[in-house]
Amino acid sequence: MQVIENLKVKEKLYIEKLENGLTIMIIPKKGMQKKYVIWGTKYGSNESTFVVPGETQSIEVPKGVAHFLEHKMFEQENGVNSLDALTSLGVSANAYTTNDHTAYLFEGIDNFYEALDELMDYVQHPYFTDENVEKEKGIIGQEIMMYDDYPEWRVYLNALEAMYHAHPVKLDITGTIETISHIDKDVLYKCYNTFYNPSNMVMVACGDFVPEELLEEIKKRLVKKEGNGEIKRIYPEEPEDIVKEKIEQKMQVSIPLYTIGIKVPPLEEAEKVKTHLGIEILLELIFGKSSELYKRLYNEGTIYGTPGCEFEFANGYAHILLTGQANEPEKVYEEFKKKVEELKEKGIDINDFTRIKNSLYGSYVKEYDDVSNIARMFLSDKFKGINSFDYLEEIDTINVEYVEQLLKNVFKQEKMVISVVRN
Amino acid sequence: MQDTKTKIKDGITLHTINTDKFKTDLIAMFLTTELSKENVTKNALISLLLRRGTMRFPSQEELSKKLEEMYGGSFDCGLDKIGNNQVFKLYIETIDDEFIPQSTNKMWKESLKLILEVALNPYIENGAFKQEYFEQEKKTLTQLIEGRKDNKAQYALNRCVEEMYKDEPFGIYKFGTVEDIEKIDNKSLYEYYQELIQDCKIDIFVSGNIQEKEIEELVKDDENIKKLKEREAKYYPVKIEKKKSDNKEKVVEESLEVTQGKLVLGLNVNIEDEDKKYATIVYNAILGGTPNSKMFQNVREKSHLAYIASSSYMRHKNTIFVNSGIEISNYEKALKIMKEQIKDMEEGKFTEEELKEAKKVIMEGAKTLYDEQDSQITYCFGQEIATSNDVSIEEYMKKIEAISMEDVLEIAKVVKIDTIYFLKN
Repeated sequence: MQVIENLKVKEKLYIEKLENGLTIMIIPKKGMQKKYVIWGTKYGSNESTFVVPGETQSIEVPKGVAHFLEHKMFEQENGVNSLDALTSLGVSANAYTTNDHTAYLFEGIDNFYEALDELMDYVQHPYFTDENVEKEKGIIGQEIMMYDDYPEWRVYLNALEAMYHAHPVKLDITGTIETISHIDKDVLYKCYNTFYNPSNMVMVACGDFVPEELLEEIKKRLVKKEGNGEIKRIYPEEPEDIVKEKIEQKMQVSIPLYTIGIKVPPLEEAEKVKTHLGIEILLELIFGKSSELYKRLYNEGTIYGTPGCEFEFANGYAHILLTGQANEPEKVYEEFKKKVEELKEKGIDINDFTRIKNSLYGSYVKEYDDVSNIARMFLSDKFKGINSFDYLEEIDTINVEYVEQLLKNVFKQEKMVISVVRN
Repeated sequence: MQDTKTKIKDGITLHTINTDKFKTDLIAMFLTTELSKENVTKNALISLLLRRGTMRFPSQEELSKKLEEMYGGSFDCGLDKIGNNQVFKLYIETIDDEFIPQSTNKMWKESLKLILEVALNPYIENGAFKQEYFEQEKKTLTQLIEGRKDNKAQYALNRCVEEMYKDEPFGIYKFGTVEDIEKIDNKSLYEYYQELIQDCKIDIFVSGNIQEKEIEELVKDDENIKKLKEREAKYYPVKIEKKKSDNKEKVVEESLEVTQGKLVLGLNVNIEDEDKKYATIVYNAILGGTPNSKMFQNVREKSHLAYIASSSYMRHKNTIFVNSGIEISNYEKALKIMKEQIKDMEEGKFTEEELKEAKKVIMEGAKTLYDEQDSQITYCFGQEIATSNDVSIEEYMKKIEAISMEDVLEIAKVVKIDTIYFLKN
């Protein structure tokens, strides 16, 4: 196995790509009780149009298939539900779907190899029937309705709606009650066979392991399957401009909720990590806990806390989101824009910059305490073509000039939107 | 990894957990006082004001800058309700010196000093909280209280608690009421605060790669600790309690704009023996605590009525809450299935297998306490304020392991539905 060591957090990553294309990553954590294994496929809600390897025509499947598949994977031909089986072993099992990947996981202390048997068995053996597909529509329907009651979720999706013309990132990961009604077992098998191929998958384990031993145990449990070659994923062409600047929805909330979005051009491969770090520093400088803008708006009673800041990116999209509650969201938006322009003009104070950069470094170090956190981070970064350790290293290369340039290139007024949910 | 206790003064305890497993050092400070309708809103306002600054760092901005300089120290100050107590919970977490590029001298010293300042030496002007902060935080608190309807699922659960404990302290909402905010005056709030820190129970936890002796000296010599008196702390030792109940099911329905109905059942566990809570923990796991549980299997997997169908045991109050989100028109159907599960338990319709699995899940949870600094602190604090003797995590696991079918059945027979709360459109 290849070993990559990071001296800053004093951790090692063992990585191996098997012949069938499956990538295995192991991060040993001495002294931890809990062991965590996560197996993911680079297949999320964004992939609804693609070319099956070996075929020439592209196909389009209903929105929400990746998530539907995730729900259905647990069901086994012998009537066993793998979620129950894993729970019976005393481990805690779960699965989730994002825009760009789907993952199956368990964490536990005892019965580790029995649980690994079960996980690897069910992910490699789908069993879909007309009947079990129909029944799931009721459960997922309730999941969709549950999200409909979350104003935070609505304000987020609406911001994406205002930014994107065509890219599927703007759609709900679950699909809608209408789109999932078109899902049947044939669609599920088609997507499974395309995307759940070892060459499209990554497994990450974190805990008190001997990496070589664990690797052998994983290999033993793999069903023989050839790599199926590249899957062509087709995304609609997405213009660089936004759809509309403002979007609003009525919902029962105590005070309005807002999301300010900034559409960012898809990132250069080599610049992803550095851009991500630079944007995080900028967001703290502009609207973080110690910023002038936060202090002023808080003291005026316009806001009650700092907004949550996110920078999201994957295949073909990137955007910044700031979400919070405010009495006058439009005012927050205007003041935010003014602050951005002011910083562009005056430049960034070196003391502020250094302080925030050190603080960000600390927050990356903190990511390395929890085995589940570590494994999930390495998996999701890997699907973006990133080794998580790079964040700890590249932060050293960032200076004031770099973030000032980034501020000018990314924080453009014509790329900003505001989404509001209010009574 | 054990919690070492040192008495600093009567009513003030230092707990140190020495471990080199983590990249971070975590310091927590808990101020425990009785929960009362009279003081709840004041406490809530104080917890907000403490975040505004100290005599050394007189504004939030300066406090935040200080934390950023400490390589992203994270600070949190919240308020919790445990049994009939209200607990101020303050945390500071920083990365350990080993991971700081230009090593300073013991970051945890800084953190410790800072957390004591925040809790005990807030920014004061003219013998009261700074008037401007006082006015702003009243607004923030109003917003917090009014904003509790925003998260419908959490709101439904809180409302069920309130309905169930209408005439008891536990039924009080932890942030108080909007009406009471207006009655608070700055000067008397500050006086109340000074009394509070002189007679509440104080626990300080330090977890990380640390030296106990050094910490002990540091705490004892700290100016803010020195000014505190010995005290007979005013709080309720937490013990298991039987709820006063007339054994009648109370049904409460409320309407808000929701797409999905939220159905919550409050169940009463009629036991008084402290040792019976272990069987109740196992009972709850079988009923709705895991994906294998009766609720999850029957409400979700077999009838497809819900995405969420689970239960949780609030051991300080001896209450189990069953939680679900359902189609509004399915209310009767879902309620019927839920009641059947409770009935089945009562009639002993659960298997050795279910018992074994439930225990496994609980044991796993207990073992992972060692992997998380904050969970371990929360566990130790739970022991600290309980009336019973300290139960170590190992002893806790042994007690769970020993639970039999009969033990669970005994609990199942005394579980009664107290309140049915339904949030609909």
